[in-house]
Amino acid sequence: MSGSVKEAPGQAESLFLELHKKFIKDTPPSGGLRPLAEAALKRFETLGFPHRKHEMYTFVGTQDLVAQPFTLSGGDPTPDGDFLRSQILPGCEKSVVVLVDGRYRADLSDTSALAGDLAIVHLAEALADSDLQKYFKQVVDEENDVFAALNAAFLTEGVQLALKQKAAPEAPLQILCVSSGSAAGPVLNQPRVLIQVGPLAEVKLITSFCGERPNYFVNATMDILVEEGGQVACSQVQRDALDAWNFCKTRISLASDSRCFSVGAYYGSRLVRHHCDARLKAPGAEFALNAVSVLGGQEQAHQFVRIHHEAPHTTSHQLFKNIVDGKGRTSVDGTVIVCAGAQLTHSDQLINNLMLSDEARVDNKPNLMIFADDVKCTHGATVGQVDPDQMFYLKTRGLSEKTAKELLTKSFAESVIDTVRFPALAAELKRSLLKKLEA
Amino acid sequence: MADNENTVSDVIEDKKYKYGFTTKVDAETFAKGLNEDVIRAISQKKNEPEFMLDFRLKAYRKWLTMKEPAWANVHYSPIDYQNISYFSAPKPKKKLESLDEVDPEVLKTFEKLGIPLDEQKRLANVAVDAVFDSVSVATTHKKKLMEVGVIFCPISEAVQEYPELVEQYLGTVVPVGDNYFAALNSAVFTDGSFVYIPPGTVCPMELSTYFRINTEETGQFERTLIICAEDSYVSYLEGCTAPQFDTNQLHAAVVELVALDNAEIKYSTVQNWYSGDPETGKGGIFNFVTKRGKCQGNKSKISWTQVETGSAITWKYPSCILQGDDSVGEFYSVALTNGIMQADTGTKMIHLGNNTRSSIISKGISADRSSNSYRGQVKVAKNSSNARNYSQCDSMLVGDQCSAHTFPYIEAANSSVQLEHEASTSKISEEQLFYFEQRGISRENAITAVINGFCKEVFKQLPMEFAVEAQKLLTLKLENSVG
Repeated sequence: MSGSVKEAPGQAESLFLELHKKFIKDTPPSGGLRPLAEAALKRFETLGFPHRKHEMYTFVGTQDLVAQPFTLSGGDPTPDGDFLRSQILPGCEKSVVVLVDGRYRADLSDTSALAGDLAIVHLAEALADSDLQKYFKQVVDEENDVFAALNAAFLTEGVQLALKQKAAPEAPLQILCVSSGSAAGPVLNQPRVLIQVGPLAEVKLITSFCGERPNYFVNATMDILVEEGGQVACSQVQRDALDAWNFCKTRISLASDSRCFSVGAYYGSRLVRHHCDARLKAPGAEFALNAVSVLGGQEQAHQFVRIHHEAPHTTSHQLFKNIVDGKGRTSVDGTVIVCAGAQLTHSDQLINNLMLSDEARVDNKPNLMIFADDVKCTHGATVGQVDPDQMFYLKTRGLSEKTAKELLTKSFAESVIDTVRFPALAAELKRSLLKKLEA
Repeated sequence: MADNENTVSDVIEDKKYKYGFTTKVDAETFAKGLNEDVIRAISQKKNEPEFMLDFRLKAYRKWLTMKEPAWANVHYSPIDYQNISYFSAPKPKKKLESLDEVDPEVLKTFEKLGIPLDEQKRLANVAVDAVFDSVSVATTHKKKLMEVGVIFCPISEAVQEYPELVEQYLGTVVPVGDNYFAALNSAVFTDGSFVYIPPGTVCPMELSTYFRINTEETGQFERTLIICAEDSYVSYLEGCTAPQFDTNQLHAAVVELVALDNAEIKYSTVQNWYSGDPETGKGGIFNFVTKRGKCQGNKSKISWTQVETGSAITWKYPSCILQGDDSVGEFYSVALTNGIMQADTGTKMIHLGNNTRSSIISKGISADRSSNSYRGQVKVAKNSSNARNYSQCDSMLVGDQCSAHTFPYIEAANSSVQLEHEASTSKISEEQLFYFEQRGISRENAITAVINGFCKEVFKQLPMEFAVEAQKLLTLKLENSVG
């Protein structure tokens, strides 16, 4: 749990500090964002990039990433129309918010299906609200993940999506984060989205990450604030260019009797890391996080999860299924924290890994930290291969080795995909993510 | 059940150990502080061969470059390593004439634990009669061991008598620079046990520090080395259930086990050091131990069993390096914390050979305001095929001020592995207690039964007398916390 406190900025930090100077000169953050960005920069300097033994990055090597000579994407590149259309899920054509290189693009977005339910506000304006200001200040001051601090330091283009009280739109809202990439050199973009779900609202959210061209680092931060009785079913789909870095921190705050059901699907790329920090703040809050990753080649996908049960009578569930082939690497570092007084907490976590090659690597760290006694918390983790008995069974029924293996590996991943509460997305995942399992 | 009925009610008042260790040990003691001269003096005092001095100095130089680990989930004020005296040769303690002279509180505790009368006398340092003279018992045992070729002696004696064995194996499992406390121990250790089991030998009895003469006071830096040659077996017991007091607050011991082809070592520990004042934690022992076994040979096996109920802070990870093919590592642990004790304990299973197997069963019980963490690592190297691990860590919470944590690290780099890990945390099931009470069993006894059931898998690994005492010990420790 130790933070890495550095005395002087190292070489890697200096590169980013230089970048920040240029950023401040070119696009100075407006209004309420400025003090936040300044505080976040200080936080970034204090934290410093993780060293090899940093507890938060035990399994994630960032040395290669932080040494890259990143540039900030300039101008307003518009992605190719066909490419953009191909990324919008069927059913979300009229409920899509598009961010290109971290900037909200009203011209490419269409939220007509959510008219009356959804308000889209620039983050600088949204910060006029003193509660939000307080929230952001606290988040920046307490930030322990250096990459999220980096995101906040470059805060200029965030967007707030507010779903009104009792809103229950039929169509799911897709948040499409497109990275345009560049042939010239690696480009850094840092989307920031704040989603507010009003009391008793009921929404479906899909966050998709995609890249039009290779060579980029997307360092996103999402805040999902669910008010009393609100319900969110969200999915996160990471499908970046093969050589991209994708870091995303999702903060979820759940008020009383609210629910968040979240499913992540990871195609993997050079380095993917999802940091989920969920806080169950009042009785009756419930959180579920399921994730599936299918990795091959040199792909990596890592999960870092902290679930804080801050109030009594809260529930959380987690299920991770990872399939790793080739030289792929995956890790799940998940901690459930039951704070003092959070009695009657119920929490479970299961991590299943399927290792298909000797070059692959799987690391798990399922932690429990419990400060209350009347709780029920469990976790389990397994690492294994395709069961030879099951293979034999299928072969005795005439299936070829290849088909049998495909069937077994696909069904392993499907148990998570089937929990996606949006049929068009589930179908898409079965088509494209599971295709990676076909030899 | 009947005799437990009394135990529960009348022990409550003596849960706090009101007695202290007051007898000043008359010893030749070095001035406080640590430098190369002190280490040279220790080595000279013990008349050690050259290689030992080199070993110590290498460890000391390494220690100087190291930092005290801060990753464990324990908190304590900094230790001043220059404020410790690193050599103290104890002279025999004053013998008491009879048990009547012993603090009645101590006797009560002994009784509750069911420690036999003669053993009580030995523990309380009462001169025992001719028949049960501990020295003669030890001598008889030693003779029996020598007949089969087993060497069991203080490590300082082994350095003199069997220097080639010590030189060959010392520091091979826990290298001098392994960790901060191990480096310190390697530099300054004064005594401990040495065991060598020759090839093809099953040690005829369970070895225990009880039978080891001349080493009543091993001091705070204990060093144990156990070597089990081909096709041999030994079971070693460390510690005892009786509360142990020590004037030294820091204990940094190192235990190294080496198992060659087809050898098996079973190492059991019951630890009940003074845990300090239950309110303030003052005076409790810091138990920072490095225990590691190497299954060097094929088909070798190392099994650790520990019952940890004492010490203010426990920092201990008995580990197995499964180097030989088909080797087996086991870890069974019960860790109980109460008062404001802190424990960060667990194991490491490092799979290097093929077809290696390991299992981990850890039971943590935390009560009052204590903190109990399981920290374990299961690592499978790239070239270790068909490795198998099963881990189970359960925690039980007693009271709403305590905390229980689980930090497993599971790292697999080979596709033929099969690793399973499961953990759970909960409080004592109200349904189970209700069931007992409904059948006329008092709540206290029901809790005792549930807790003993919770720890059963570990207790059954202990030698029988140890298991019985350990069960009673848990009951005794938890008396004020539950119900």
